[in-house]
Amino acid sequence: MTSTTMRRTPIDSFPTSTSSTQAETEKILLDHLPKDNKAAPTLQTQAHMQFLIRNLVQGFPARYTSQDASQPWLLYWTLEAFSVLQVGLDPGNRQKAVDTIMAWQHPDGGFGGGPHQAAHLLPTYAAVCALAIVGKPGEGGGWDQIDRKKMYNFFMSLKQPDGSFFVAHHSEVDVRGIYCLLVTATLLDIITPELVEGTSAFVASLQTYEGGFSSASQPYYAPSTSPNGPSALLESPRPPLGEAHGGYTFCALASWVMLLPYLPSPAPKINKMSLLRWLVQMQGSPVELGGFKGRTNKLVDGCYSWWVGGAFALLESIGINPSAIPAPSADKQEGKDDDWSDIDDSLLNRKALQEYILFAGQHPAGGLRDKPPKNADSYHTLSCLAGLSSAQHKVFPSPTRRKALLDSWKSTGNSTNEELRKAYVRRRALLHRGNGHRDHRRRPVEPSERNAPSVQPNNYAHGGNDDVLLWASRASANRQMNS
Amino acid sequence: MIPVPSPPLYSTRPEWADVVPIPQYEKANPLAPILYSEEYKDATDYLRAVVKSGEKSERVLQLTEHVIRLNPAHYSAWQYRYETVVAIQWPLETEIALMDELADKYLKTYQVWHHRRLILTLSKEAREELAFVAKILQQDEKNYHTWAHRQWILAFYNDDALWAGELDFVDTMMNKDVRNNSVWHHRFFVVFQSGVREGEENRERVVRRELIYTKQNISLAPNNASAWNYLRGVLEFTKLPLSTVATFVTPYTVPLPENLGDIVDVENPPPGKGAELPCVAAIEFQADIYEEEAQSESIEEAVRLWKSLAEEHDTIRKKYWEYRIQQALLRT
Repeated sequence: MTSTTMRRTPIDSFPTSTSSTQAETEKILLDHLPKDNKAAPTLQTQAHMQFLIRNLVQGFPARYTSQDASQPWLLYWTLEAFSVLQVGLDPGNRQKAVDTIMAWQHPDGGFGGGPHQAAHLLPTYAAVCALAIVGKPGEGGGWDQIDRKKMYNFFMSLKQPDGSFFVAHHSEVDVRGIYCLLVTATLLDIITPELVEGTSAFVASLQTYEGGFSSASQPYYAPSTSPNGPSALLESPRPPLGEAHGGYTFCALASWVMLLPYLPSPAPKINKMSLLRWLVQMQGSPVELGGFKGRTNKLVDGCYSWWVGGAFALLESIGINPSAIPAPSADKQEGKDDDWSDIDDSLLNRKALQEYILFAGQHPAGGLRDKPPKNADSYHTLSCLAGLSSAQHKVFPSPTRRKALLDSWKSTGNSTNEELRKAYVRRRALLHRGNGHRDHRRRPVEPSERNAPSVQPNNYAHGGNDDVLLWASRASANRQMNS
Repeated sequence: MIPVPSPPLYSTRPEWADVVPIPQYEKANPLAPILYSEEYKDATDYLRAVVKSGEKSERVLQLTEHVIRLNPAHYSAWQYRYETVVAIQWPLETEIALMDELADKYLKTYQVWHHRRLILTLSKEAREELAFVAKILQQDEKNYHTWAHRQWILAFYNDDALWAGELDFVDTMMNKDVRNNSVWHHRFFVVFQSGVREGEENRERVVRRELIYTKQNISLAPNNASAWNYLRGVLEFTKLPLSTVATFVTPYTVPLPENLGDIVDVENPPPGKGAELPCVAAIEFQADIYEEEAQSESIEEAVRLWKSLAEEHDTIRKKYWEYRIQQALLRT
């Protein structure tokens, strides 16, 4: 694509503040498009590694004080970014990471944003996911020192009558918290029907008329019939508070997928086609270099490469699966039958998203960012890298790996959960049937079975052997864009 | 600029001598530490100490305010502040006055808005609240928390007096920026998602009003995704077919004619002189109208439009338009 052929967003001779900031952003983004068309965009892996290592070892500069209540996030963003770059920690730093994380566990269950901070669902997610990367079973490994019983009680203490959860005591209801809770409960195998009762209806209530999801909704209650009796939750009105938003939409959709085995009867519904429409509409035009925005008429931002770009990978789980249909012949590329590059069944423009991240998302001094001329930070570094990864690969466990994981399942003796698990496995098997023609053409990649049933964290190792390398990247130094 | 002097450290103040500060990390050096200022480290050392001892007092309010000003996202400081406000029966109007200042300063943090909500839930005093929100929105017209707060006020108090001026407020905000999606969402919240409000009982009239309102705004600036999404939202919510607005949509799907003429049609306002046509959202809408008809000729028309989007007008979404074609052909 060249800058001369690109159409600026139409203003219709009716400028407003939205169109003015949009036009300014387009100008800056176009300046980041190389004049020479042949220059292959490159991920500056070494510069980003240096950025991450500097934060990890030297510490975060004082301006990160605003993240003092998000210390688990700072560590998670850093460790997960290493994972995306296929780098493992050396044993010394790995143990130090485990000890640091365990200092955040709250005596009454859950994790806080730092030592002595109150337990909160968001840092709980970040801490447990960070442990899934660096933790081990057994003494001092972290994973077995998570107090699962107290965690469960903490979760239940946040539960609201409309199926939602406070993110912490005396705190707000927010679908990010629900996503964090469900991921944590899944990883720790403490999900129960009681825990998630009503939650799917709450998540469904967040979908707005635009198709995306908002942060929360407001329940209305019918007055109680007796003076001190309970008031009844009304099905309607239950308005979403706030408009459709990329971050909340990811959390809502991922929560919905995790809640599928627990849907009550009759099941609450979401509008899948309007969700799909909203997701694709969030991708910026060529003049925005194909980056994603988080709301209608807002600016593109590198972090939505993951929140919106990454959400496309979840669509198959709700039955939106373009690869199940034979592609029109015009779409076939000739003379290419290699494992990767000839298959693109995703509904976003993967090539354009990669270009946004590589041309505009990378800070020249290392780390990734919202957009130029902003600084890089840990959050944008991971979300851009994760978005780039999901724009390049469709990752799923190989049949062998899937079988090994299922075989490693140990029943907890709780028969309800065991039945639910079996139903879930059957359901997934059905969903995956019919895609077989695609599965064998894609190269399965092992290390991303994050949603597998309860397994020990060392099963997530990066192709085994992850204790060995000290800061050495197993990825090629400069990865070329896969288009 | 004259630097603002930092307050003396708590560790040097006699009135805090009875408290033993607690360092953040008791054991080994943490991985990836934040390099705090001395002031922040000192204040949070004392915060940890009072939380541990359970002290709830006026000086704890001062301490939590100090920490919050240094880091408004410190949710534990907010949480402890709230418990202290309740425990010592701190005057709620004093607390709200402080919140007025902090929300103005730190409007992008979740906690300033949630604490405000907790205090309002206790005081049940919401009369000034909508005016306050309107003032804050002036500095950031798309602030998510501020809009969500306004919607919470309306829904939680559920008081007709509060609702009375809301459509006028939407108009004021819309006149500032017709592309502000938060305003469109707020309008949908007010008109459709919060039950039927006073004066809005005649739903047929309300729907007609909303359709005209949206069409007029589209004619002003046709390439406005927010307005098209609202149009779709109204039709879907009221279960009206998309073809209800077919006559309106068509002129937006073709290049602007040289002679616009002087058509005055309230139901179908034509594109204005500055319109950049054809409009992508209109072509998409037209294709959906054809798909809705579900006749084989109309599907052909829809496919033709989707192809024009995939290949000419909206190439970034090529994959999606091709998916729509596949899906439509699969059904016929």
